[in-house]
Amino acid sequence: MTSSYQHQGTGRDYQKNLLGAWYRRLENAPRDGTPVAYLFISGNIGELLRSFGFELLFPEVNALQCGIKKVSGGMILKAEDLGYSSDVCGYVKNDIGLAATGNRGPFGALPKPDLLVCTYSGCNTYIKWFEALAELYGARLFLLDVPYRRTGETQRQEDLDYVVAQLEQLAAVCAEITSRPYDPDRLSQSLAHSRAAEDLWVRILESARHRPSPFDAFFEAVFFMAPIYVLRGTRECVDYYEAAWKEIEERLRYRIGPVSEERFRVVIEGPPPWPHFRNFWELFKRWGVCCVASTYSKVGGIWDFGLRHDPARPLESLAEYAVNCYTNWDWTLRRQMLDRYAATYQADALVIHSVKSCRAFSVGQADVREYFTKTRGLPTLFVESDLADPRYFAEAQIRNRLDAFFEALEHRRLAAHRPEAARPGA
Amino acid sequence: MLVAGVDIGSTATKAAILDENKQVRALSLVDTGANVVRAAERAFQEALRRTGLEAWDVTFTVGTGYGRYRLPFGDLQVTEISCHTKGACFLFPRTRTILDIGGQDTKAIRVNERAEVTDFSMNDKCAAGTGRFLEAAAQVLGLELGELGPVAAASRKPLKITNVCTVFVEQEIVMHLARGCPVEDVLAGVHQAIAGRSLGLLRRVGLEEEITFTGGVACNPGMVRALEERLKLRLNVAPESQYIGAIGAALFAWERAAHGEAGRQKNTSCAEAGTGPGGG
Ligand code: SF4
Repeated sequence: MTSSYQHQGTGRDYQKNLLGAWYRRLENAPRDGTPVAYLFISGNIGELLRSFGFELLFPEVNALQCGIKKVSGGMILKAEDLGYSSDVCGYVKNDIGLAATGNRGPFGALPKPDLLVCTYSGCNTYIKWFEALAELYGARLFLLDVPYRRTGETQRQEDLDYVVAQLEQLAAVCAEITSRPYDPDRLSQSLAHSRAAEDLWVRILESARHRPSPFDAFFEAVFFMAPIYVLRGTRECVDYYEAAWKEIEERLRYRIGPVSEERFRVVIEGPPPWPHFRNFWELFKRWGVCCVASTYSKVGGIWDFGLRHDPARPLESLAEYAVNCYTNWDWTLRRQMLDRYAATYQADALVIHSVKSCRAFSVGQADVREYFTKTRGLPTLFVESDLADPRYFAEAQIRNRLDAFFEALEHRRLAAHRPEAARPGA
Repeated sequence: MLVAGVDIGSTATKAAILDENKQVRALSLVDTGANVVRAAERAFQEALRRTGLEAWDVTFTVGTGYGRYRLPFGDLQVTEISCHTKGACFLFPRTRTILDIGGQDTKAIRVNERAEVTDFSMNDKCAAGTGRFLEAAAQVLGLELGELGPVAAASRKPLKITNVCTVFVEQEIVMHLARGCPVEDVLAGVHQAIAGRSLGLLRRVGLEEEITFTGGVACNPGMVRALEERLKLRLNVAPESQYIGAIGAALFAWERAAHGEAGRQKNTSCAEAGTGPGGG
């Protein structure tokens, strides 16, 4: 095992620089006369907007940045002062708090939107959130209504046609705002970049099939996935994944993983508790836990299931992508995804981090837990806190649950390797 | 050879000392209070005093409970989930489900035929459905904890307590009393509310007989009855139910000692030690 290697830290550092540069572009957008569109990560059609010259801003990413930099608590309180209830999604309240305090966060100042594009893809909070922003900024709101994906149905053509028709409308709106005509060639070029980045990202994700896994598909993936979420469709995004893959390749070569000794492989469902991200990760590291697959790293796209943007079918492939984002799948499809991850990545357990204020993710998780423990016999740990609201994170309790869970797994593993007579209770 | 287990709970700290034949030689209980470290020492010393032996006769000590990370003299820390399981399966070997109601949390544990934890579920952050809920009721009614069960036993028509919040339940009790409801009916309602919440946790892990009831609240016969009525099953309740975590911890210590490990008299978490308790 080598403790340092040529590309060590590339994945993290490079993305940090890319994001920093992107936030600076956003900060300078008003001065540079660049139009700005706000949109959501899930099922976003960013390439279309970018083809009109929009700079993109993702309030969810701002919220998670506030969370990880530990300023979300104050933003949330600010929104609660304005009358938002404690049950409202922490991301929304963070964003409202941010807007109410001059739209300046740890990442710098944020520009006002020229256009708000709400992809309604599984989370109805999205609609209310952007309606509030539209009112706050007096900005134009375009609602992209995305039909829900149901089990047992192949992708319906009429669903895709419905989304494509809306994308055409959206293109007309963009042309009006930017005074630029819709340019399908430019869009196709961008989608070719998307596709190239998607291929590389899937390669990184699937590297976690190795033992030890070179990559933590949750705690590290949240950094590695940022460029494909916010800069997809650009050349710099492809460059990033080429560089990141070099790091992973090297880790594979030297059998380096995110934990010094991989003792447990888990699949994780649910988003991270951003304000306590590091502590939460540490609780897993202490037990030598590596996450080998996660659903959160798929909220921006489930490319590992074969989905790709297609330069030859620009609008249709954007529609396909929007319909097939994780939160827009029904629970049976999502459960099948977890099932497949548990099997192909040889997981020892499933960990569900349930988020109090996010119903899109959390409703149904108790059934998932039941399915895996009772039907599949896969040990499942259920912990709960929040993705943005630090008040919901009870470290002592979460730690206790985690310790008890991995302790029990370890006992069973040790007992399985011990002669019958020496087993406790035997 | 002696081994010890110390269970530092939110309300009470318990210690158990076992001999080489796994016989319980002494038990002790002290209030945890504000100083966790002192409580652990006092409980341990008290149990030791009852054995008539000295600290160096204790080969291995395991700490458990919320305060375990601060145990000043433990050789190993094990979570209370594992310790309750160990203790409950030792006293009732056919245990498949454990319900533990302590001062601040309630947990349901599912166990396999090899006494291994296969699943567990705990109450969320609030104290609803825990011992604290009963304490709040006792306080409003001006009763001692020990009186709760016997008083509730006199009830003929238990009231439905709708609040699950420990703070609001006090208001609800006061309201019922002001309306002239008999104390025993209010109390029986409180017991049933806790039983209802416990049932939810038990269902999450899957109910399988035999069910062993552990923790301080298992000493309350009113609670045992309320649960048995709801479950329509009999529960295993040991006279030492409050000490089961400490006994389980001592059993882990026994296994370590039996595998020839001597206590290092320093804090080591099982995670940091790189191996889980019970490993040989
Ligand atoms: S409820 Fe969940 S999915 Fe919806 S906006 Fe909030 S965090 Fe995102």
